Amino acid sequence: MSAHGPVLSLCDVLDLDQATSRDLAVRASGLTKRFGDRTVVDALELAIPRGSVCGFVGPNGAGKTTTIRMLLGLIQPSAGSGTVLGGDLGQPQSYLHKVGALIESPAFYHHLSGKNNLLALARLAHIDATTIPDVLDRVGLLQRADDLYRSYSLGMKQRLGIAAALLAAPELLILDEPTNGLDPAGIVEMRDLIRSLADEGITVFVSSHLLSEIEHICDRLIMISDGKTVFQGEVAKLRATRGDELILRPESESSLASLLTLVQRAGFAARVEEALLSPPTVVVEAGSDQAAPLNRLAMHADITLIHISERARSLEEAFFELTGTHSRDVETAHSLGSVT
Amino acid sequence: MIVDAFRSEWVKLRRTTLVLGVFGGLAAAASFFVVLLFSQAAAVGPGTADLPSLQVLAQPNGLIHGVNRVVVLLGIVAFGVAAFQIASEYSLGTLRQLLVRQPRRRILLTGKYLGVITFIVAAVVAASLIAGGVAVIMAHVRHVPVGAWFSGTGVKDLTEALGELLLAVVGFATLGMAVGLFLRSAVFAVIVGLAYLIAIENIVGRVLPSLNRWLPGQLLLGVGQGGNATTTFPRALLVSAIYLAGVALLAANTFRRRDVTA
Repeated sequence: MSAHGPVLSLCDVLDLDQATSRDLAVRASGLTKRFGDRTVVDALELAIPRGSVCGFVGPNGAGKTTTIRMLLGLIQPSAGSGTVLGGDLGQPQSYLHKVGALIESPAFYHHLSGKNNLLALARLAHIDATTIPDVLDRVGLLQRADDLYRSYSLGMKQRLGIAAALLAAPELLILDEPTNGLDPAGIVEMRDLIRSLADEGITVFVSSHLLSEIEHICDRLIMISDGKTVFQGEVAKLRATRGDELILRPESESSLASLLTLVQRAGFAARVEEALLSPPTVVVEAGSDQAAPLNRLAMHADITLIHISERARSLEEAFFELTGTHSRDVETAHSLGSVT
Repeated sequence: MIVDAFRSEWVKLRRTTLVLGVFGGLAAAASFFVVLLFSQAAAVGPGTADLPSLQVLAQPNGLIHGVNRVVVLLGIVAFGVAAFQIASEYSLGTLRQLLVRQPRRRILLTGKYLGVITFIVAAVVAASLIAGGVAVIMAHVRHVPVGAWFSGTGVKDLTEALGELLLAVVGFATLGMAVGLFLRSAVFAVIVGLAYLIAIENIVGRVLPSLNRWLPGQLLLGVGQGGNATTTFPRALLVSAIYLAGVALLAANTFRRRDVTA
């Protein structure tokens, strides 16, 4: 549960409590990592159903990469337990042969070609080298397979990372910021690739700071903040839980406080929202069906509303509310179109 | 499987620039040394400790004088190559890719170790063969008879000397890999290692000569030279083996337990 503001329940965790390891690609309970006195991941709960595309979001330093590294056996958890594809988290060799991963930025030998970089990984995992052209073709790098890695663009390096993750014909694909460095066309291609992999039944666990991307490609979402799970469940459920808002603007700004009190007394959650370039408004947590009653209520109190509109709560707003990010950060992030 | 990790390592090691750099560099350095040895040697007499005469070089064990003098050079190269190969996995971040494909860290490390060792041994053998050829040419130029080199005694002595040289090179490479694992930075590992071997041991050895018998670099030098004024070969081999086994175990254990955050 989040320590920040209004907390959303871990809605699907309860359902998933009944799920077995056969149903879940990843399950972790109380997953904790401490570096000295600093707790980076704090009793994290994870439940990722097989066949899902699950987004993993959180502010910088929330513990996403550390969590991913724990799942991949690169970092030993300080506490907690879990399973990945039925294998014990403490025995990564029992499941990593079925997992493909791109961890942070792609890391390869600069002086080797893309093909030879994959050959080194294929040999290490005793994977048939004849699969290399297939995975390179899948990410659109077959024509550049013999070029040195250092000559690749950032987007090509990212795609080689995806190719490396696909080498083992994975059942679970863990992608850490897969759209980093990609141009808009590359992002669309990556989105299509991830969807096509999911269509093949591969479970995809993807972390991203681009919430719009997560909205596009994921059917489930795990949000973390300060190393703790603040939400996990279906994206649609998160949107539904957050509900819509009505924006009310009175003719006179001096009526704002009266309007706010009036609406709150009527039983609605409301707040005044101020913005730099537009007049302040009263934001009411209510759907469009409440527009007319609220208008009448204001009219009876001699407050003239010159603007009533409905605003759908975006995933970003839910994210910021759940993670307790400050409004200034929200504005910055909105202007950038991303969450960082 | 260790053999898979070994084959994987060789994909990285067999690249043209590294092969040319290490094989070619060692061969060139060893050959240059042979040329200097023959060109500067006096015709007769015992020569000096550093520069034997042509008369001495003509003996069955003549080539051994050359082999003994390149131990430090080859050892430093072996140390640097090994340290760089393992530490660069951290610097480049490639270690995380490797560990996802081979999570059994001991297997990965053993395979990488064997790959690096075979690469260095192959480079030293190749350099020895080329330098041997250059020695024959230089002997011809300086009118040194080489028949004794290829006698039974000569071949036996040379084989033993090369075996000792390879043991020392493997020791230096093992030390290099351990330092690379501890420091996790390719450049830092090479600088620190070489500074220790070239400068620190030298200074300590001069200030406290009695410590020379216990310094790892000096002991490996003793192994490569089949024993020297500082230590006998069996003692050098035994103490070096104990040192290296301890360092290797410590490094392997550290590698197995340490979180990979790079």
